[in-house]
Amino acid sequence: MNHKIERTSIARAVGLIGLAAAASALPAVAAVPVTDAMIANDQNTPNDVLTVGMGFSGQRFSTSTQINSDTVVDLVPAWSFSMGGEKQRGQETQALVHDGKIFITGSYSRLWALDQKTGAKLWSYEHRLPEGIVPCCDVVNRGAALYDNLVIFGTLDAKLVALDQTTGKVVWTETIADFKGGYSYTAAPLIVKGKLITGVSGGEFGVVGRVEARDAKTGKMVWTRPTVEGHMGYLNGKENGVSGKTNATWPGDLWKTGGAATWLGCTYGADTNQIYCGTGNPAPWNAFTRPGDNLYSTSTVAINADTGKIEWSYQGTPNDHWDFDGVNEFISFDMKKDGKTVKAGAKADRNGFFYVLNRTDGKLLSASPFVTKQTWASGVDLKTGRPIESNNRPGNPGSGEKGSAVFAAPSFLGGKNWMPMAYSGQTGLFYVPANEWGMDIWNEPITYKKGAAYLGAGFTIKPLYDDYIGALRAMDPATGKVVWEYKNPAPLWGGVMTTAGNLVFTGTPEGFLKAFDAKTGKELWKFQTGSGVVGQPTTWEMDGEQYIGVASGWGGAVPLWGGEVAKKVKDISQGGSFWVFKLHKSGKATVAQN
Amino acid sequence: MNEVAGRAAQRVARMIGAAACLLSGFAALAAERPVDPLNSPGWSTIHGRYFKDQTVVFDERVKVMAPSAAENPLDVPVQIDADGLADVEQVLVVADLNPIQKILSYEPTRALPSLSFRFKVEQSTPIRAAMRTKDGVWHVGGVWLSAAGGGCTTPSHGSADPLWQTHLNEVSGRLWPKADSNTQRLRLRVVHPMDTGLASGIPAFYIDRLVISDAQGEQIARLNTYEPISENPVLSFDLKGSGPVRITGGDIQGNKIAAEIRP
Repeated sequence: MNHKIERTSIARAVGLIGLAAAASALPAVAAVPVTDAMIANDQNTPNDVLTVGMGFSGQRFSTSTQINSDTVVDLVPAWSFSMGGEKQRGQETQALVHDGKIFITGSYSRLWALDQKTGAKLWSYEHRLPEGIVPCCDVVNRGAALYDNLVIFGTLDAKLVALDQTTGKVVWTETIADFKGGYSYTAAPLIVKGKLITGVSGGEFGVVGRVEARDAKTGKMVWTRPTVEGHMGYLNGKENGVSGKTNATWPGDLWKTGGAATWLGCTYGADTNQIYCGTGNPAPWNAFTRPGDNLYSTSTVAINADTGKIEWSYQGTPNDHWDFDGVNEFISFDMKKDGKTVKAGAKADRNGFFYVLNRTDGKLLSASPFVTKQTWASGVDLKTGRPIESNNRPGNPGSGEKGSAVFAAPSFLGGKNWMPMAYSGQTGLFYVPANEWGMDIWNEPITYKKGAAYLGAGFTIKPLYDDYIGALRAMDPATGKVVWEYKNPAPLWGGVMTTAGNLVFTGTPEGFLKAFDAKTGKELWKFQTGSGVVGQPTTWEMDGEQYIGVASGWGGAVPLWGGEVAKKVKDISQGGSFWVFKLHKSGKATVAQN
Repeated sequence: MNEVAGRAAQRVARMIGAAACLLSGFAALAAERPVDPLNSPGWSTIHGRYFKDQTVVFDERVKVMAPSAAENPLDVPVQIDADGLADVEQVLVVADLNPIQKILSYEPTRALPSLSFRFKVEQSTPIRAAMRTKDGVWHVGGVWLSAAGGGCTTPSHGSADPLWQTHLNEVSGRLWPKADSNTQRLRLRVVHPMDTGLASGIPAFYIDRLVISDAQGEQIARLNTYEPISENPVLSFDLKGSGPVRITGGDIQGNKIAAEIRP
């Protein structure tokens, strides 16, 4: 409301009524600013959730214990928010909670601010998307970032939008890349020391992966670091060295459209000052076109947060031939082994190996399968860090139409895909949302065309077992052994969270949010949300009560790549809502007063 | 709330009635809603929303020129003018019966109170220009526009025409100096889909501000536009003085507009 009502003396005469009318139009009180110190301490402050991943290292571990393996049976819904519209697609967000507000993102580049007490909508932002966007695998968004008075998220047309937390007005917007070149953006940004860290999506379209750091308050670029060898990095507008060495692991010009998209974002090691980013498949899929390791595809890359230079990298699948895109999150943790504490980090790769690395230098400590079948490699050589391949590459099409097909497992959707695992320092276990499936894959000739799919491969996908695809597995990083598992009929596609209450939470495509005993894997609680859960659960405390929040809304890449898997998922209802739970308290019914 | 405020205003009007009788001119009209010469069912709402507790007079000097019937409800040309009205500080243009009534707000800092634009009409409605002069009085003029309707809930052309995706916020324009009056006419077009948010599945997305300034960066005029302005807005202004002008502004999603136009 812009109109001015205090023009005449009459306004003063109607003082009382004027006050009442003005109360709803009072200038909104500025939000409590989110500081670097608050973000750095996020994992220790149960009253807020300032980061996707629940802390720099992305452990998704909460110290809250009110909801625990004894009380979880009394977990009931507190409220639910509908994301509305007709745009009911995959909802992969994680909620952020700060200063009385909950921030969630949704399909088609939407963002909402909700009242933390009532779940009522405070404001919403719907990004006007051009018709020509090319997200490869559903129109999802995986969450926002908070800094100062801003809530910042990325859009499917590869833009960043920073909004005022209180008013929902756009404060700044920046273009990451040209969406017509196949770029998009779906990850949650990371804030590191005032800088907004983002990657790019578009690995199926021959984009060039990179990590960028901007001033979070203004959007101004600080540094950019390409994740394909041969490309120049920049720091404060000046050249900052080529990534790797041009043509060392890429032939000819292929590196110019080399993929390695950083589409899942990054985590941060506060003690190493390194930003850990997973990188996707090299482009095109047909590996015969690009002999060499194709750095830094299918890797974890450690980038110095200040200089924007790569300090180490570890590649899971050199010269990837199966779309074993290695974007999976790298989670820092302190590993106790043989009486010593090791500064470690772990990653459950799409290729089926659970890697434990030394996070200071990237040295491989162990690589253990977290799926039951890996046709492509029999193990990893701990000395060289390279996989021991088992002659499972699809045939070279040469100039023919189609090369010979092979059966390979895991499938291109991975032993684990985007959905983040969790780590509990209390149990010492990682909780990995895995899937058991394989594929027939073959090569086709391919040339690059801007904005078009750049694969050079054909594929089908099939479950390995009749009774389940999804498997939530508790892995001991010190031994590489699976301690317990929960099998799910449909593929798991949602994030995992663990708490000091001896609980592990995750969602299922069948629509349940489930809670498990963190030590034994016993299923303790479930709730039907009405649509498939592919979101990331989180938890916070308010007024002495612990809350659990998760987005429900079926989608993601699975429904787009049906094959034999479709049987397990084709009857799932679409939806789009955010559910919040707390422990039931008996006594007088309370009715919200607003 | 309008009703409550309206009653309050009436009560106050009664309270000060005696005093007001002693005064001449507009003061007596201050709290009252003048009778609408267009006899529009929407006038009480418009008055309550934009002119409550302010002095409003219908003034024939404020002219709104529009076709009597909208040939294209997505693109109705309108021209407003107020020859002979001095010291206009703010211009507000509204369409009573549109789902979003406010079309634009204009501050002709160093410009004439005249403006041309195109807008989307949902159904037959009055279009009104209200001009606030230095003394705080709103001078209102208007006309009825008859329309078959649908202009605000139909998807903008933008959803079919991909021009905006590659040329968003690009400005083209021209200046015509008028030596006899030491003014110049500025006409410009900005590429923008101007989505109202009322078409299913397309969020609101529109230019909300344009500032015209001179070569020294001093403001000549400021325009706030709203959802009803037509796709790819075409706007004309009569600016005082001469020389190149700078256009700055943006839309509600943070995309900026910046251009310079030379005579």
